[in-house]
Amino acid sequence: MTPRLFLRIAGVEARRRMSYRADFWLNLVVGFAAKFGLLYFVWTAMFRESGAATMGGYTLDSMLVYYVAVLLVSQIIIGAGFESEVATDIYEGGLNRYLVFPTSYFWFKYAQRVGMLLPVVLQFFVFGGLFVLFSDATISLSGLVMCVVAIAVGHLLFFTMSFPLQNVAFWADNVWSLQVALRLTTSLLGGLMFPVTLFPDWLQAVNAWLPFHVLFGVPAEVLVGKIGFAEWLPAVALGIAWIIAVGLLDRVVWRRGNLQYSGIGI
Amino acid sequence: MIRVRSLSKTYYVHKKAPGLMGSVRSLFVRKKTPKDAVKAVSLDVAEGEILGLVGPNGAGKTTLVKMLAGIIFPTSGEASVLGHTPWERDNEFRRQIALIMGQKAQLWWDLPAADCFLLLKEIYRIPDEKYAENLEYLSTVLDVKKDLNVQVRRLSLGERMKMELIAALLHEPRVVFLDEPTIGLDLTAQRAIRDFILEYRERHKPAMILTSHYMEDIERLCKRIVIIQDGAFIYDGQLDDVVKTYAKRKVITAHLRKQDGSLPERRELERFGEVLEETDLQVRLSVERPRVAEASGYLLENLPVADLAIDETDVGTIIEQIFQERREQAE
Repeated sequence: MTPRLFLRIAGVEARRRMSYRADFWLNLVVGFAAKFGLLYFVWTAMFRESGAATMGGYTLDSMLVYYVAVLLVSQIIIGAGFESEVATDIYEGGLNRYLVFPTSYFWFKYAQRVGMLLPVVLQFFVFGGLFVLFSDATISLSGLVMCVVAIAVGHLLFFTMSFPLQNVAFWADNVWSLQVALRLTTSLLGGLMFPVTLFPDWLQAVNAWLPFHVLFGVPAEVLVGKIGFAEWLPAVALGIAWIIAVGLLDRVVWRRGNLQYSGIGI
Repeated sequence: MIRVRSLSKTYYVHKKAPGLMGSVRSLFVRKKTPKDAVKAVSLDVAEGEILGLVGPNGAGKTTLVKMLAGIIFPTSGEASVLGHTPWERDNEFRRQIALIMGQKAQLWWDLPAADCFLLLKEIYRIPDEKYAENLEYLSTVLDVKKDLNVQVRRLSLGERMKMELIAALLHEPRVVFLDEPTIGLDLTAQRAIRDFILEYRERHKPAMILTSHYMEDIERLCKRIVIIQDGAFIYDGQLDDVVKTYAKRKVITAHLRKQDGSLPERRELERFGEVLEETDLQVRLSVERPRVAEASGYLLENLPVADLAIDETDVGTIIEQIFQERREQAE
């Protein structure tokens, strides 16, 4: 797929996304505010009840800063309304039209996913900016640049990981539970539910080689200054290695799945 | 342009016993049943030819089209479309074909058709000049220029189908698969689509395969048809020959002048065949071909005939009879 076509598909998807105005604004405001409000009350209560000054190396304030960052990052990485698009295409036969196009289905769908980013990217800068203005948190330019690169890697990695699971729709009618399993695993081990420093040492050691931390934890930690270039570089390299490895798996599953495809109707 | 040899497709479908126990059992054991959707079929379609694929629901028409468009893999057999094996999905192959499915929208519903076309221009790498020329031609002939900037989901079914046709033909495909292109359309829209397909064929000479349940589509567009039933071809030849081969009867209609006397006894007419209608104004008989002259002579001699017409049974009815006969033979 040419970069020009990729951008055109992303542009069309962005326009399509913005044609639903109510959804656009609800996603922009409610999506973030509701989640952060919940986490604010949970963590304030936990620090107050335990009496601890720090947890996993975080004070209450730095924990809240981390959550602002990780929530904003996760909104971009996971995206909204795209969790089962591929599975739905397979299940309902919408895949037919893409198979006739002289271009890659994987990259077509990924370009659409990129096109859907506009509201969440706006959210990232609006809420992130407001938070920096009205709190003691500081963001460095280098931290922001490293964060953006990590988000780009995490975004592609998440789609690459989700793709073969959704391809299970070639064999099974409903793959929703697999998507939930992916969400839970990535949220837990990726640092979205808790900072990974709260895990026991052995789990942190294992997790350092898995693809999850680079999804949410690394971009958030580098943004709030918890890790620097020395930790960021190997983490991003590991993320790219996982994209290649899982991408190869995608190809195998896609090819085998296509042999099963009936395209709905006889 | 299209060459198919012994192409077959078998689907495996799960069967589940009805009721709660059936559902529980299916969690542990599932019975897979093979369904032969297409059985070792062979055909050739030449440049500029529109081949009509006729058959009842579930006969295998759509499966065959999907295999030739490269959407699904066959179980066995060979096919070559423009020298490519369709299911290998070479981009070179996909740039030269189009698939229009009347039952499945190909355009993006939330976008104006013009935006969809621009995206397709990029997908098919259509040069600017060619794109402008083709869009102008297609939107003018199909009379949808004024609707190009309307969201697809806000268009009527007929307008949407026209937009689907434009989307499929912008890149000037050399092979076009039309799967029920007029389904659900009113008579005016059906006629407009048929006229357009004929004009497009004249202009670009693509090979086309058309499936439709509307016999008018087939009669107007196709000289040659393939009749498919239960996955197998039961006829491949000229549309006109279907009538000669399978229509064993003709319908004689005698329009009568006003008369004082009574009509001949019904049993007299029944000597020649089935009496379809018998009134003071008209008599209609279904008669076996060899007895048409004899029956016509009788009517002319014994009735005050003002006008006499001898018609072939319509193709739709003939095909329906063929399906019915084969179904009965199978049972």
